[in-house]
Amino acid sequence: MSRAAQTGDVPAVETVGLGKRYGQTWGLQDCSVQVPKGAISALLGPNGSGKTTLLRMVAGFATASAGSARVLGRPPAQNEEFLASVGYLAQEMPLYRRLNVAEHLELGRRLNPRWDDGPARGRLTALQVPFDRPVATLSGGQHAQVALALAVAKSPEVLLLDEPVAALDPLARAEFLASLATAAAGTGLTVLLSSHLLRDVEQVCDHVVLLASSRVQLCSDTETLVSSHKVLIGPRRGPSECERSFEVVRATHTERQSRLLVRGPGPALGPSWEVLEPDLEEIVLAYMGQDRDSRSLAAGPLSLVVATPGGAR
Amino acid sequence: MNYLTWRLHRHQVIFAATALVAIAVLLVVTGTQMAHDYTSALSTCAASQSCGDLSDEMFQGDGLLLDFVSAVAIGGPLLLGIFWGAPLIAKEIEEGTHRLAWAQSITRRRWMATKLGWVLAAAVAWGASMTALVTWWHSPENALYGRLDSGHFDIQGIVPIAYAVFAVALGIAIGTWTRRVMASAAGVLGGFAAVRSLVVLYVRPHYLAPLTARLPLGGAVLPGNPWVLSKTLVNGAGHPEALTSTFGYVPAACHSAVFKGPSALSSCLRAQGYHWLVRYQPASRFWEFQAIEAALFVTLATALVLLALRRVERADA
Repeated sequence: MSRAAQTGDVPAVETVGLGKRYGQTWGLQDCSVQVPKGAISALLGPNGSGKTTLLRMVAGFATASAGSARVLGRPPAQNEEFLASVGYLAQEMPLYRRLNVAEHLELGRRLNPRWDDGPARGRLTALQVPFDRPVATLSGGQHAQVALALAVAKSPEVLLLDEPVAALDPLARAEFLASLATAAAGTGLTVLLSSHLLRDVEQVCDHVVLLASSRVQLCSDTETLVSSHKVLIGPRRGPSECERSFEVVRATHTERQSRLLVRGPGPALGPSWEVLEPDLEEIVLAYMGQDRDSRSLAAGPLSLVVATPGGAR
Repeated sequence: MNYLTWRLHRHQVIFAATALVAIAVLLVVTGTQMAHDYTSALSTCAASQSCGDLSDEMFQGDGLLLDFVSAVAIGGPLLLGIFWGAPLIAKEIEEGTHRLAWAQSITRRRWMATKLGWVLAAAVAWGASMTALVTWWHSPENALYGRLDSGHFDIQGIVPIAYAVFAVALGIAIGTWTRRVMASAAGVLGGFAAVRSLVVLYVRPHYLAPLTARLPLGGAVLPGNPWVLSKTLVNGAGHPEALTSTFGYVPAACHSAVFKGPSALSSCLRAQGYHWLVRYQPASRFWEFQAIEAALFVTLATALVLLALRRVERADA
């Protein structure tokens, strides 16, 4: 079990039936997720799946059209207690272009009761980010580091990051995630960071929330997720037979072979079947692909999609 | 929050302060000269008993300067609305920096209160400085021409402060709704001009019931430089004459006099009991009108500020 699943008290982030409607269309619908305290959770999903909408509602930047969100048991509100407990970094990583890094740190110090920028300053200095130049002159990677430093120095209990590495080159991405991991280590900070690629954030995550079609597909810590799935490779059988025996997440067939990603225990299989442990990326891609398949077939409810697995906590 | 507000807007403050100093120097130098000219002209005319003609002569060479001062005094609030009010919230939203500010541990209300507090205080400071300078600068001219007509009324007393506050509040409010700096600036330009014109033309004449006076035909004017709202030719019973296509407002009894020249016509009209009926606001109502108009614009500004606050507190970011 990961450290995330061990704490049994109030979840860091909990949403129940959360939804946001923009005019006639839902940006996010019936979203129920729980992120345990101390987790570093990847909020995954293709573009337009509602990741930003979810984070904004949790942070209190947008109001919910349906359902509710809670951070450490508290609903989003315009009061200092809530605002101080939640860090939020929007996708575009806003900074005042004409102010320098030192001015940003100063404004953070003045506007946050629990401000502690010691480690953040050290990290920025180590990365050779100039403190006295307007942030407009910084590179993309430095800009992101400054934005993260501000969010971390605020000392929130829950840090929400919207696609923080999407715009960064591989080196800057690695440095950013290293900074994030350093900041989270040993502090009990809960992080929920969105990405459309698991591979981008996999190295720091121990929990996954998967959104697709504006709905939650998966919400689990990564170890449970991996251990509750199997890859089966064996002689080709008809799809209906597979689905009777197993809860199949995704099946791919060649002329002679079937490769099945299945969930939970199933009946014992003959020696013609090979059983492998899937990696996290395969599981995530399978669920995303399943969503795409169902959309392309204009299917009704996603019959194979199950909410939080029972074994997760 | 005070720190952030200062860091973000110090260049605007420095620019405005520099402009104000330049204007002050110009007004003090020229105003001193005008006041000197006026006092010496008064003593000269008193000697020759011709002070009644002074208003036809004084300051006629200063037309360009008078126009410039009027333009600065009237246009100042508009510029504040465009350069201070419109970008205050809209620029943050346009550049996304409101999301940085709102991610700190301060409520949106406090964020708004600090920003609005400072910019409105700056608008009051600008308006007060300008009106103090212009009111002093205009004092000789006021003595000659009165100050209840809109050319004088709008740039003196306390209304310039109220206009500045209103213009800035208008920019802020439009900015929170359009979320675009250029659109808000355009909105201020149109909105401020429209509201000011409508008030001058249709609202201000009715702040207090106008007085009426009868004036004999000829060149007589009301003493004390009042604000004349209308001047109507009426008959002895006080009723205006009906308009006819050939003779205009000339009554039937005097139609023949029309062809005998202007003096014959006016003596005919006088014999028939015709006179001018003048509706006017006396110059003594200057401060009452100033107070009413200032209250009107401050009320509008307050409503706009509350609207902006409500929008910012409720809008998704």
